[in-house]
Amino acid sequence: MSKKKAQGTNLLYQLIGEARGYDDVIIMGRGDPDFDTPAHIVAAAKDAMINHHADSTPPEGLLALREAIAARVKRVNNIDVDPATEVVVTNGGQEALFLMVLAVLSPGDEMIVPEPNYNTYADSLRFAGGVKVEVQTYAEDDFRADPADVRAAVTNKTRALLLVSPNNPAASVISPPDMRAMLDIAIEQDLIVIADDIYDLFVYDDFEHVSPASLPGAKERTLTLNALSKAYSMTGWRLGWIVGPADLMARVRELKAAISGGASIISQHAGIAALTGPQDAVEMMAEAYRRRRRLVLDALDAMGIKYGLPQGGQFVFADIGFTGLDSGEVAQRILTEQHVLAYPGSAFSKDRKDYLRMTFLQPEDQLIEGLERMKVAMANIVAER
Amino acid sequence: MASQTKAEILADHESNSALQAPLPAPVARHVKDLGADGLLSPLDERIIAAASEALEAGQTHYVDVPGIAALRAAIADALNGATNSRYEAGNIIVSAGVQESRFLTIQMIGENYESIGIPAVTHPGVQKALGVRGRNVISLPAAAERGYLPPIDAIAEIVAGGCRLLYLESPSRLSGAAYTSEEVGAIAEVLRDAGAAAIWDGGLAPWVDGGCSALASTEESPTLITTIGEAFPGTGLASWFIGYIASPEDQIPAMQSQKQIMAICTSTAAQFAALEASSLFEEARRLKLSQLAQLRSQIAESAAARGLAVIAGDAQNIMALRVSEEAAAKLRGAGFDFADGASFGAPDIIRLNVNSAALEALRALD
Repeated sequence: MSKKKAQGTNLLYQLIGEARGYDDVIIMGRGDPDFDTPAHIVAAAKDAMINHHADSTPPEGLLALREAIAARVKRVNNIDVDPATEVVVTNGGQEALFLMVLAVLSPGDEMIVPEPNYNTYADSLRFAGGVKVEVQTYAEDDFRADPADVRAAVTNKTRALLLVSPNNPAASVISPPDMRAMLDIAIEQDLIVIADDIYDLFVYDDFEHVSPASLPGAKERTLTLNALSKAYSMTGWRLGWIVGPADLMARVRELKAAISGGASIISQHAGIAALTGPQDAVEMMAEAYRRRRRLVLDALDAMGIKYGLPQGGQFVFADIGFTGLDSGEVAQRILTEQHVLAYPGSAFSKDRKDYLRMTFLQPEDQLIEGLERMKVAMANIVAER
Repeated sequence: MASQTKAEILADHESNSALQAPLPAPVARHVKDLGADGLLSPLDERIIAAASEALEAGQTHYVDVPGIAALRAAIADALNGATNSRYEAGNIIVSAGVQESRFLTIQMIGENYESIGIPAVTHPGVQKALGVRGRNVISLPAAAERGYLPPIDAIAEIVAGGCRLLYLESPSRLSGAAYTSEEVGAIAEVLRDAGAAAIWDGGLAPWVDGGCSALASTEESPTLITTIGEAFPGTGLASWFIGYIASPEDQIPAMQSQKQIMAICTSTAAQFAALEASSLFEEARRLKLSQLAQLRSQIAESAAARGLAVIAGDAQNIMALRVSEEAAAKLRGAGFDFADGASFGAPDIIRLNVNSAALEALRALD
């Protein structure tokens, strides 16, 4: 009997499972920063275990944390929110994403999604019964989503527009004029904007991040997610948030209560420390990612591999079409033969079988080693053609 | 200009009463709060030490979607020890609390069935989970005389009528009443004969003196039983939100995949804390149970002395009482909070946590 090929998220988990079996594996797949959580945040968690472990929490999260989140989105994103009614704490960005889709989409409703995009949006849409309407972007344009294409994709069933900037996996950043144009379309066509700002602190060169909800006329129709996972290296703490207008957030709150009740009290206290404490660790990590990005891009240039310039984020989406193989097979061979884990583009979009997503979330020596090994694996693949 | 799209979303929301069911707090919000789901318990120093050590050792990253292997094994062992079931680590998903367990099981196991039979009186989290994405619900009658547990003949009737998935609580989340081993055996037989499945909320089972029969532990247990509950309750982890799903292996992948979509994994710190709690749980539970049983007996006497009807229950951590609107208002006026039976489906009932403040609350009715 032939074994069915894994696809999408299942393929990623199959690869992760295999990677776990190699002692010398170099992980350039999962979006989990190599840095541990900064010490002062861990210290706050320990303090909470002693002094706050039995505190109760409402489904939307502790008010002190919501206040810290409101201050953060004002400072970083220029979004004004009332912590009492316009913030909901979530179990990480992933739950925030799921909740936003559930809050807005009913069966049959369409959401416009610039592609490629993070696979969980498609999974969440499927759960909600919504329909994904793809707007394609291309490496030669550095994966820029063209507002004209978005406008052309609107139908009478369109309810929402997804704006992820910096994007995952393509790492493109929506420019301020394009963001304004996207918002104009949303207002004209009466769409709800689902904004994913999770990589907002990771923008490179002269590119600029703009939060959709910060633009005039946008806040009342925009839900925005973020999380502590990437910026504070807190993936294991499962802490994120959604901010948006009070009326929609009342719905988000009830959905949050329905799917998981609340967020861990210890993670919430750690989150307060992260957002209100010293921020130098965040800058240190951002600087490391800047260096690593350059290192990876230089290596890909030396290998003659094309990519869309990563304007933000923590990864590069590289074109491996020259191998002649589907990205799933390439990822599998790189892992099996060279013990390097990179994510196949096919896991993000059925139309991206020629791409690999490589993160730069490992120390520089590991990245150099990983890229050398990938070079060997790809040379072997090409030699066999 | 007002958004018509937003107005439509909000209109849908307003009409969804199930989604708006209020949930009890995870633990008491103040000293007179008697309505919380979880016990207010001290956190053992060894749990703090273990969780701290894990964090300092760099356990601050994603872990496996279904949970860390050692905790999955510990949960399986605890269930097997308490109920004579035969779970292994591979049967366990560590959830971010029992509400996530309810949601994942109702939604993902429910996808495989045309309808789901649910007691007319259940924890409001069940209604809430159903409110996210509606399922065809068949209501099972549940009366106060049997602690709001649906009678066996009613279960047999809906199964005979074609319903192949049940959601049952034992003990009841409102009254604490638990099915006897004979009743559990009878339910098992009905399910087995029809090839039907069940989601079994056994979260309050640790608080039944002398143990509590579970559907997954009957001698001839049907194979399609999924058990849910809080992980190691009474060890001070109620606000950490950590629960479990114990399910046949072939049902795990769909729930694991949905868990990945919803949350990736459960908080690492909470998992390491729960792992340590697993080794302290049984001793702490026995001690707590004996204290609770003594106190519950005093509260029952106090309630009877005031002419209040106590709904029969077996779990020692809660007590359901029939009270008039006037008495409920009097309690609120005295600053006491309680779980309102209306949100469970029993409007004239209140649920109190068993602790010394409950005695004080009853005195406030004088």
